[in-house]
Amino acid sequence: MAPEVRPPSHLSNPLATLEQLSTSGSQLDGISADLETSILFAGATLTQAAGILLHLPQDIIASAIVTYSRFWVGAEGGSLREYGAKDISAASIYLTAKLSAFPKSPRSVLNVYSFLAAVPSTFTDLDKFSELDYEESCYLSEGAYQSRRNLLTKMETIILRVLGFQTHVALPYALCINYLQALDVFKGPSGKALASKAFEYLNASLLNPQLLYLTHQPPALATSAIYLAAREIGVKLPEEEWWEVFDTDREELGFLVVAMLSMEGFVGEEKGKWEGGSVPLTVEGVEKEIERRNGVNGHDTL
Amino acid sequence: MSSAKSRWADNAEEEVQRKREKEEKKRAKLEKQRQAEEEEVRRKKAEEEAAARKDEQNREDSDRPTKRRRLSHDGEDSRTKEKAEQPRKLLRFAAPAWGPCRHVDNFERLNHIEEGSYGWVSRARETATAEVVALKKLKMDNLNDGFPVTALREIQTLKESSHTHIVDLREVVVGDTLDDVFIVMEFVEHDLKTLQDSMSEPFLPSETKTLMAQLTSAVAFLHSHWILHRDLKTSNILMNNQGEIKLADFGMARYTGDPPPPNLTQLVVTLWYRAPELLLGAKTYGFEIDLWSVGCIFGELLQKEPILQGKNEVDQISKILTLMGIPTDTTWPGFRRLPNARSLRLPPNPPPHATKPNIRRTFALLTNAGVDLLLSLLSLNPDGRPSAAEVLDHPYFKEDPKPKAKEMFPTFPSKAGQEKQRRRDTPSAPKRGEGGKVEFGAVDLSGLFGAEREEGGAGFQLRMG
Repeated sequence: MAPEVRPPSHLSNPLATLEQLSTSGSQLDGISADLETSILFAGATLTQAAGILLHLPQDIIASAIVTYSRFWVGAEGGSLREYGAKDISAASIYLTAKLSAFPKSPRSVLNVYSFLAAVPSTFTDLDKFSELDYEESCYLSEGAYQSRRNLLTKMETIILRVLGFQTHVALPYALCINYLQALDVFKGPSGKALASKAFEYLNASLLNPQLLYLTHQPPALATSAIYLAAREIGVKLPEEEWWEVFDTDREELGFLVVAMLSMEGFVGEEKGKWEGGSVPLTVEGVEKEIERRNGVNGHDTL
Repeated sequence: MSSAKSRWADNAEEEVQRKREKEEKKRAKLEKQRQAEEEEVRRKKAEEEAAARKDEQNREDSDRPTKRRRLSHDGEDSRTKEKAEQPRKLLRFAAPAWGPCRHVDNFERLNHIEEGSYGWVSRARETATAEVVALKKLKMDNLNDGFPVTALREIQTLKESSHTHIVDLREVVVGDTLDDVFIVMEFVEHDLKTLQDSMSEPFLPSETKTLMAQLTSAVAFLHSHWILHRDLKTSNILMNNQGEIKLADFGMARYTGDPPPPNLTQLVVTLWYRAPELLLGAKTYGFEIDLWSVGCIFGELLQKEPILQGKNEVDQISKILTLMGIPTDTTWPGFRRLPNARSLRLPPNPPPHATKPNIRRTFALLTNAGVDLLLSLLSLNPDGRPSAAEVLDHPYFKEDPKPKAKEMFPTFPSKAGQEKQRRRDTPSAPKRGEGGKVEFGAVDLSGLFGAEREEGGAGFQLRMG
């Protein structure tokens, strides 16, 4: 293989090591892998929703989700029995926005999260949001605000410590447009549709339980999203192995394409699993869920 | 061993047989390839001749022969085989990992170096490796907003800046409480400010040139990575005993963009190194502010002391205008629209001599190329300043005396390395929350340009506030 080069930072991300991917703080604390997957996915979705409500650009939301996802992997990553997914989600968004051109105040972030906590179930449709009483659910008393702000900033510091201050996130969005231009399909009649479909794949991949943004570099993610989008929209791409131009080999492309396509099925399964209930996003909620599962199974393996 | 082999070949005889077959196949393949190559050469020759003939016949049709030649280039299989054996090279990036911060107990503190506005720096030794490093404890104030954004930016920008002339950030370590955060950097013996203070003569012209080239290369690197340093000054430039400078203290640094973010704070850069557009309250600014500071450092290296030592913002701008002349609408279009320029009552038509810079007189020993570089770096109009990359191409660096090789630099006793504390007599960069706006007090500046005013008759005054 070609020698590894120190990359221009906008093209590459720090990636999770094999060791980190093989276990997690939560699993070592006795949380089953499927419960962990459900919670991490729900927390990532929550982060996306909060980012939209905070009027943050998608690239900042995406960076926050990547930071959130990095926090949980590996034996030295955070455990869901110690930190609530909701709190880490809020702190990730707060931290990422702070470093961006669109900082958000602790109060804005906390208001949005208390609103989202009032959403009746994890898989509530977006159009049901307007039926919620916004003012009622957002209201935080001064005392509650103080203590939540302290928690928010504490979680922020904990994220930084667990990640060793690795806050760098490179994203595939700009590359994706760049590649579409290079393939000479962006200006075509379906260029716009193609780009937005590719972006949909990139956005959905942020929530992917296979942690694609922690295991693959932005060029590969952008290339795979384009491959899928072109197939779906019906745009003809070169016959040759064009993905190699963007430093993605056939094997990686194949893997990512399958992973990206699996998303729909995964979300359907999750919806079925939780049937209008809520995925526990707090430490107490997780303990309750573990108890409930033990009760159902009648023994105490988790 | 043999049992392992037997998974593939039942007995030795069979294996020998197989080997022989393989070799035969290989030989046949080679022979085929040789024939194909010969064939190819023959074909190529014939085609070239044909192409040449055709070219003569029809010049407009020039793309056809090449096309045909490519199609019938070779026996297709040998070509694809060749391809398969040599996979195309794809770019692979080294992906750094992440892991939790180590504890500061892995280091033992040796001596205190200095206290800057963003933290306390000490010399320390990593217990496991005995390596000497610089350990900087970050100041944690304004905790209502969580982790200080300046500290975060310092870590983020330093982490991304891997350059010979930028101090190397090794890692971030933590103490027992959540407020104890330290950054571990390579230890560098000197800083340019302290070093210059201890020298009896300024750096030689050849040395100054080397230092300027190194500094500018670091600034060019930062700017090409969209990082603004925002606090360039001699006390933030470290120097080791190998004649290398290392840019440090990224406490003011941040990422910028094109166009720059609209809400940048004007409270940046230590006063003596602060660009005029910042002093005049520009709401947006770019890389040019760093180049102004580079200009101030250039002058300081030549004179062995800071060239523009203002006592406050108003004094600073009047010192700048005394050195560089008064801006006019042609030398700096639009400067009158800057917030603080309105209170700076400049004449609409200042006398010509008041608009001329005094660089030549102030730096009498500098060559013409050097003067030209300094003039451009200290251009009042930010658009008139060169980019860092352009500075590196300036004739100043090519003319004699040539930059001194860094190996030839003298070494100095290190103050930081001894049990000695540095005195900080340069003012610091402004701190966040130190008042949101530059306040110009009522300062009498009637003495400034007084003589010229009488001569020229066109009166003006600097009235601030």
